[in-house]
Amino acid sequence: MFSLKTLLLLAVGLVNIVYAKSSTGNSDEAPAIIEYDEPAFVHVVVLASETKNFAKDLSPQAFVELLNLKTNLILALSTKQTPLTSLAPEFSLVLPPPGTPLVSYFPKRDEPASLIPITPTKQDATHILSKNLAPVWFSGVPQALGNNPLLVPILHAPAESFASEVDGGSADALADSAEKGGEGLWAGSQLSVVTGFQTVNNARVTWVGGVDLFSDELAQKEVSPGVKSGNAQFARDIAAWTFQENNVLRIDKIEHHRVNETEPRELYTNNDQLVYSAYISKFNPVKNTWEPYSGIKDLQLSFTMLDPHIRTALPPVSGHPGKYSTTFRAPDRHGVFKFVIDHKRQGWTFLQSSTTVPVVPPRHDEYPRFLSAAWPYYAGAISTSVAFFLFSALWLAGEVKEGTKKSGSKGKTE
Amino acid sequence: MPPKAARAQSATPVNAFHSLWKAYNDNTPDRLKFIDAFLLFLMLSGIVQFAYCILVTNFPYNAFLAGFSSNVGQFVLAASLRSQVNPDNRDEFKDVSPERAFADFALGSIVLHFFVYNYLG
Repeated sequence: MFSLKTLLLLAVGLVNIVYAKSSTGNSDEAPAIIEYDEPAFVHVVVLASETKNFAKDLSPQAFVELLNLKTNLILALSTKQTPLTSLAPEFSLVLPPPGTPLVSYFPKRDEPASLIPITPTKQDATHILSKNLAPVWFSGVPQALGNNPLLVPILHAPAESFASEVDGGSADALADSAEKGGEGLWAGSQLSVVTGFQTVNNARVTWVGGVDLFSDELAQKEVSPGVKSGNAQFARDIAAWTFQENNVLRIDKIEHHRVNETEPRELYTNNDQLVYSAYISKFNPVKNTWEPYSGIKDLQLSFTMLDPHIRTALPPVSGHPGKYSTTFRAPDRHGVFKFVIDHKRQGWTFLQSSTTVPVVPPRHDEYPRFLSAAWPYYAGAISTSVAFFLFSALWLAGEVKEGTKKSGSKGKTE
Repeated sequence: MPPKAARAQSATPVNAFHSLWKAYNDNTPDRLKFIDAFLLFLMLSGIVQFAYCILVTNFPYNAFLAGFSSNVGQFVLAASLRSQVNPDNRDEFKDVSPERAFADFALGSIVLHFFVYNYLG
């Protein structure tokens, strides 16, 4: 359907792209997309949205396996029933029945109703899309979204749009399936037309409702007189996000030690004051480097033993780019604890870090030896000893006196 | 004094105590009175510590045990000394001279205090 040249994605400068061509050559065995459990490509783009028979190694199972192997995917959908259409529900995307693209009669325009200019709003993924993006021409199927937290809706459908049978689909089928999923399932701005999905291992997959979005024709097409559409920039934005250039964070290192120390201990003691620091970097695709990133305002640290005993904010340290640090008191509880960072935000790399440290009770010589509460006991013991010595001294003195008295009296009697 | 004598003749509890006290004062040697004073001090000290333990805190418990048992132990040793040096018991302790009794008392006390201070802190 598209020659490679018409695809703007090439301009993004991708490393490895595999195209499953919609024409012939589907039965080609090579190149296998996964060989010996190693993915052959870093990123995979499947724009063959109408192909019903993929090559053997491009089965939906293979795409899932690719995601497990941290390969990023861009998958395009169409109004036709294809293997990708049946894969989409696995990502909590509910597609309308075949043959029902998104249509909208607003704004009034000369183009067909199924070719819609969509203006990104603040509901859309503003951290993924460029600022001041011009309206994007879209033609394809919308996706109703399940409540999967891993979904990242990138571009929503306009409020006036709905899925409808313009090219030979059946209105009854649409009504039937909408009733199964709830009335008006495929209408309005809760629909998404381009949806991201970030797996728990941080692989990213972007589902695009229609492959026309990437075509030169729509990229050059004006949305209003003199204003070119935002398709080109939009394609660049979602490619940058999907292919791990944008919104990519990592934890460089973590440090933990007691207050006024610099080295971590093998063991921490109950009620120790602990300092925990994490250094976080963000990928800069322009310079191709990792740069310290202090922009996370809601990072949290948990100190857990099964349950978080302590959950505290991990704020950025001013003056130290990329450093997040906090001080807290270890709980009065011994056991094997973990410093846990589990930062999951839509559209950003999930930050996960877990460091196990044992927390032990104080050793026998680490307790305070004498307590103020016990001073009556100390006084009692000491006074008993003092009294014993006084008693002994007086007793012996008395004996001497008595002895002299006795001997004196003896002397008298003699 | 006549009124006092009159009271002493009647058998009220007050008079019983009075006569007991008088008999004690008159018949007890000074040395035994001295021991009795020591015993009284130990008893009071033990009572104070026990009351503190019950009413305020028994924490740290080892300190309570050490303080209280030092009183009790000292009391037992002093009471033994008293019975051994009492001239009335001379028949009972023919082999134990008062000096020997005191030496036993002193040695026992020193051992007791050694344990008490080890247990105290």
